[in-house]
Amino acid sequence: MPGKRTSINPPEANRLCKRCEIQESLVVIRAEPLCRDCFTRYVHTKVAKRMETFRVRYSGIGQQRKLLLPISFGVSSVTLLHVLNHHLGLQQEKTGRTGFDLHVVHVDTSDVEDNTAGAALMHVVQKRYPRHTYSSILLSDVYDSEEALSVLNMLEPETNKAIEKHTALHDRLSALLASLPSATSRADMVQILRTRLAVRFAKLHGCEAILWGDSTTRLAERTLAETAKGRGFALPWNTADGESPHGLAFYYPMRDLLKKELIAHADLAQPPLAPLLWEENRKVAVSTKNVTIDELMARYFETVEKDYPSIVANVVKTTGKLKAPVTSADDTACGLCHMPLIEPRFQVEQRCDGQSKDSMQVEAPRALELSLCYGCARTMPEDTGLLP
Amino acid sequence: MAPHICQLCNTSRAQILRPKNHARICAPCFIDIFEREIAETITSTNLFQPGERIAIGASGGKDSTVLASVLKTLNDRHAWGLDLVLLSIDEGITGYRDHSLDAVKRNSVEYDLPLKIVSYEELYGWSMDQVVAQIGKKGNCTYCGVFRRQALDRGAAMLGVGHVVTGHNADDVAETVLMNLLRGDLPRLGRATSILTSTPSATMSKTDSEAKGGEVTITNVKRSKPLMYAYEKEIVMYAHYKKLDYFSTECIYSPEAFRGSARTLIKNLERIRPESILDVVRSGIDMAKLVPNAEGQPKGAVEAVVRNEVEDEAEGGCGGSNAKEVVSEMAQMEQKLRQDERAEEAGTETEIKLPSKVLDGQRPDRDVNPDLLPVAALTTHIQGQTHGRQAQTDGQQLPSDIRTVTIRTKQEKKSSRKATRDAPPPKQKLGQCERCGYLSSQAVCKACMLLEGLNKARPRTGIEVG
Repeated sequence: MPGKRTSINPPEANRLCKRCEIQESLVVIRAEPLCRDCFTRYVHTKVAKRMETFRVRYSGIGQQRKLLLPISFGVSSVTLLHVLNHHLGLQQEKTGRTGFDLHVVHVDTSDVEDNTAGAALMHVVQKRYPRHTYSSILLSDVYDSEEALSVLNMLEPETNKAIEKHTALHDRLSALLASLPSATSRADMVQILRTRLAVRFAKLHGCEAILWGDSTTRLAERTLAETAKGRGFALPWNTADGESPHGLAFYYPMRDLLKKELIAHADLAQPPLAPLLWEENRKVAVSTKNVTIDELMARYFETVEKDYPSIVANVVKTTGKLKAPVTSADDTACGLCHMPLIEPRFQVEQRCDGQSKDSMQVEAPRALELSLCYGCARTMPEDTGLLP
Repeated sequence: MAPHICQLCNTSRAQILRPKNHARICAPCFIDIFEREIAETITSTNLFQPGERIAIGASGGKDSTVLASVLKTLNDRHAWGLDLVLLSIDEGITGYRDHSLDAVKRNSVEYDLPLKIVSYEELYGWSMDQVVAQIGKKGNCTYCGVFRRQALDRGAAMLGVGHVVTGHNADDVAETVLMNLLRGDLPRLGRATSILTSTPSATMSKTDSEAKGGEVTITNVKRSKPLMYAYEKEIVMYAHYKKLDYFSTECIYSPEAFRGSARTLIKNLERIRPESILDVVRSGIDMAKLVPNAEGQPKGAVEAVVRNEVEDEAEGGCGGSNAKEVVSEMAQMEQKLRQDERAEEAGTETEIKLPSKVLDGQRPDRDVNPDLLPVAALTTHIQGQTHGRQAQTDGQQLPSDIRTVTIRTKQEKKSSRKATRDAPPPKQKLGQCERCGYLSSQAVCKACMLLEGLNKARPRTGIEVG
């Protein structure tokens, strides 16, 4: 059942852990029964392997490297924080210093999105792992800059009111989301804006890379969802470790762990991670109208992950083999998701060619500035000419 | 609610809600725009040459019927001068194919197009009924599949036609893209979205083919899918409004668990956002450019993609499998992946120099995953991800003068595991089957191998079917 956190496998309770052969096993991971300690070690090792580039020896003395960790209070990002916290503790013990500093940020979307964590859990998390820096920002902050302003003006000039700053920003965000035709577009837009905001925040605070908490399962979901949205061209940039077109490196240290493994780990960690987690309220019977493409893929992989976890891992591995084309700084980037456009696809001008019901009065020079990729052209407010 | 007016002609009442984009239009406008979009696809990709001979792969089902009707209409309307002929394959399954063949015959009369029916019996000396009588009901799907792959090409060659068109639609291509993502099959992913595929000789220079006397051999038949951007639902609609005559031969029950899974996803996607089918196709096309080729470089835009013997496209019509087989394909793959993973972790992966001969009669598939191979050698399975699809040809001894398949020579030199992972996929030489001349990466193509097995066991007295 979605959301249920049962990890203890009663039939396995009497078997010995396969790795240490001393303790009783509590979970079965990829057909191997493991005890609590070995399992915890398994999770920590998988993450540590991916953090090789941030070992103490690679950081200059006096130059502390900074990494951003966006947290959603879901099991994956919280586990990442938990593991990294431990990891840094070990580094400190062994060498007297750490390979990097963590800045944890929460992008709060609760004012525009249903079913998402608010900032309340931040205090709990901060209390448990006090050594790091913590910030909470609103998604509407994405409008807090000259650059972002022009984008919005293009779309919704009528809704651009001059009110008190935060209310104004919030209103603009709400208006943008309200103008989108479907739940999928809204979810997509929120995702894109959240990434952009995280990138800007990271740059502002001198972070050299962003550590995303995405699990294997989430990466597989993302692969199929982005394919279904028309962003196949950007898959290597959306899922691979390394430099991203945003000008920062993206890493996914949890990419070798399945969601269900993380759920099991959350229960077995000491102390358990449950108080730090936000329980996702997955409505079981949602009418097809409101299911988004992302949710569709999430449900799909939840099922596949149960019986065929290696297939999930294989999807991610395969996507990792796609080679991103070589791009230069001169290439046009999509105005919304910032991915490089090899062949500039859609000029926003096309959409506002007078057929639109909203008849946006856009001056021609502004219109030509914004190019969109195929996928973003889908998400943006549609050309309403053909619809009643 | 007031009746809607057609959004295209603004005159008639709109009877149709278009699946592709929910536009409200009238039937005549729908027929018109459907045909125009296909014409656009054909002209923008330069699919056909003026005066070219085209064989339409006709199964009697909705896709090929609509394809034939539209091509005929467009050919006349735009004076492309194409020489169209219907090509139908008769597997020799009594009570199944006969009905759809009747539909094709009717189509032939209706559109005034010549029809050529090519039977397995005539091509290989065995009809499916005879094969089943010989080997029983298990594994017969393999024979049918292998034979069918070659049948279209061979049939076309018999007609002297160098270009075959099939009715693959957007839903088919989208399914194939998702399926190959799920299976982790990058090379097939790269080929799935090409509108035109050809065998290597078709890309030979003109002088070469002229030297051969301009003859069409089975090694230079092109294949294309003009309906690639047409929605399945719209094809059904078109057939309905034009009152086309077809026989439903759709195998709804797909033998492959991956394709079935992908099909469900596509249907759900369509419900959420109808444009997503084309979005998947578009993504597939873009991803194909990112698939590294043999040298490890991204392919870039490839126009005429080269096929190999194993057919990549959806070949429907085989209804012979049962539920157990379906589930087991995913389970099989899961097992295999797990084994490989465990071996990798346990460090039992070693560099083994493989003999250039192929073990166990298995054809080393080009799609073999480099990481898995050394481990695979330990378990004596060379198959990559196409494990479940190819039959074990027991007891087949390969001739010793096998054409070199240069697998792994690059990898043998590399010592680290990491390098193995990044090694380019194995190179395979595409040569010709020494028996029939069909394109194959081995000395003897799969069909000939299967036939050899069948013929050896054939009783002296003929089998009466019927």
